[in-house]
Amino acid sequence: MIVLVCLEPPQPGRGARAAEILARKLAGVAESVAVCVGGPLDSPSLTWAIDRHSFRRVIHVDDAPLEKTDFMTLGAILAEVARRLGAGVVITGEHSDREGQGLVPAAIAHHLHAPLIARVCELRRSGADPDRLEITTRAGGKLCTLDVATPIVLSTEPASYEEIVPLAATGASAVETLTLPQLGLDADRLVPRPELLGTPVAAPSERPATMTPEEAARFLRPRQ
Amino acid sequence: MASIVAYIEVREGAITAASLFAIGESRRIAQAAGATVYGLLALGPLSHVQIDHFAEQVSAAGADRILCSSDESLAGPVLDITHGPILAQITDHLRPVLLFFPAGGVGSELGPPLAVRIGAAYVPTASVEIHSLDSGQASSPQRIFVTRWRSARDTIRRIDLGDLERPVVAVLAAGDKSDFAGESYAEVEMIPYPTPKRPAERVLRSEVDSAAEVELCGTLVCVPAGTDAAELGTLRAALPHGVCVRTEDACDLGRASPQRLILLSVDQARLPIRAAVVREVAGTAAELAEALHRSASPDREPST
Repeated sequence: MIVLVCLEPPQPGRGARAAEILARKLAGVAESVAVCVGGPLDSPSLTWAIDRHSFRRVIHVDDAPLEKTDFMTLGAILAEVARRLGAGVVITGEHSDREGQGLVPAAIAHHLHAPLIARVCELRRSGADPDRLEITTRAGGKLCTLDVATPIVLSTEPASYEEIVPLAATGASAVETLTLPQLGLDADRLVPRPELLGTPVAAPSERPATMTPEEAARFLRPRQ
Repeated sequence: MASIVAYIEVREGAITAASLFAIGESRRIAQAAGATVYGLLALGPLSHVQIDHFAEQVSAAGADRILCSSDESLAGPVLDITHGPILAQITDHLRPVLLFFPAGGVGSELGPPLAVRIGAAYVPTASVEIHSLDSGQASSPQRIFVTRWRSARDTIRRIDLGDLERPVVAVLAAGDKSDFAGESYAEVEMIPYPTPKRPAERVLRSEVDSAAEVELCGTLVCVPAGTDAAELGTLRAALPHGVCVRTEDACDLGRASPQRLILLSVDQARLPIRAAVVREVAGTAAELAEALHRSASPDREPST
C-alpha cells in the first residue's frame, strides 16, 4: 500500500510532522511518499522530508501557477497525485499553520471520491486484509477505533505532535519533480486563489485588561 | 425568511453546552437580522420521550424549529461518512445562509466536507459580532460579522455576512448557554435518513477521551507551569461548572477554543490559543480560589 503524506510549502508545519508520525505507524506494511505542491525546489518542507528518511519518495509538483491556486484546485492536484501513485491512504495535517482553515483535506477527498476522517490519532493495518485499516479518531468525547476500507483521506488531530527522531538513512535521497502536464492537468485551467474572506483586523493587544482576583471571581460567576 | 441551522451535539445522553451556545448565537443573529433558527439533531435511534426532552432544551435555548434525524446509521461516532448525507439533504432543502457547528470537534469533522459540497465559505473557531449601524436609534439596522483567528494567531479576519453571496459554515468557539429564554417547545420535524451509498464503517472500540473536556470549555483559566498541584486542585474545585483550568504547558491546551480566557501571570503570546475575551488576573491560583469562595459565600472572612 502507498501512503501519501501531503506537505505544505514552504515550511513543514505541525500538520506535516503529525502526518509523518501517522504514516510511520504503517512502516513495514506500506510505502510512504511525501508530496509538496508549489514552493521552490529547495523549500524547507522538501529538505525536511528528505532529512526525515521516513519517505521512500519525495515529490515536488512544480509549476508557476501553483503559487496562486485555490484550495479546491490544490485538492484536485493532490488527488491526482494520489490516483497516479495508487495511494490507499492520503494523510494531511488538520490545517495550515498560517490561515488555518482546514479545507484542503476535504477538497482532496471530494476529488478522490474517497471518505475523509478528521482528527485521526492512531493508524494500523486491519488484520491480514491489505486494503483495510484500523484508525482511531477523536469524536464526540470518545476515542473511536474504526475498521475502514481504502482509499481514504485522513487528517491529523490538532495536538498530535511529538518530536520523533529521523529514521536511519533508508528514505528518498533526492526530490522528484512532477509537472502539471505529467499529471494530465492543464495549467491554464487552474482556478486562481480568490482573496481570502473578511477584512484583516489587528489582533487585540497582547496586554489584556487586568483584574483583581475579586473582579475575576465576579466575572467567572455563572449567570443567573 | 432566511434560515440558520445549528448542529446539536449530544454526549453521554446530554446536549453539550457548546451546542446550546450555538443555538443562542443563532438566535442573537436572528433577532438582529430576521431569520428562522433550526436546531439539528442527528442521532441514533431515539424514543419520543428522548426527542421531546432534547427538543425542549433546544427550543428553550432559542430554536424556532427542530429538525431531527434518528437512525441506526447515526448511532456511532460523528463522521462525514455517516452524518454528511443528512447535512447535505438538509442544506439542499433549506438553503441556510448560515450553518453553525458547536465547539468540540464535530465542526472540524463535518464542516469542511459540507463547505466543499455546497460551495460555502468556511470559518473555523468563529465568534459572532453584531454592530449597530446607528447607535442613536433603538431599531437601527445592524451588521453581523463572523470573526476568526488566523492559525498564525497574529490577525483576526472579520467577515461581514451581508457582503457574502454564498452560505457560511462556521465552527463556533466554545461558549456558555446564552441568557435567552425561548419557548419551551418548538415544532419537531422528523427527517428520514437518506439511503447510504456505502456500508457504515465498523466501530471496533470506543473509550472515553480524557482530553475532550477542554474542547467544550467556554471559559479557560490558564495558570503558570509548575503551579503547585494542591493549589491547582483547590482552584479547580472552586471554579463554577463549565470553567476549566490548565497550566500554560498542558499538552491538551492546543485543543481548546474558549470564548473567554483568564490568565494568571501567564504570557498570552506563549499560548497556542486565542479567545474573543481575554483578562489578566493580578494574583495567584490560591488567591483566585479564595475570591471565588468569598463570592459564593459573601459573609466568609478572607483567610490569612
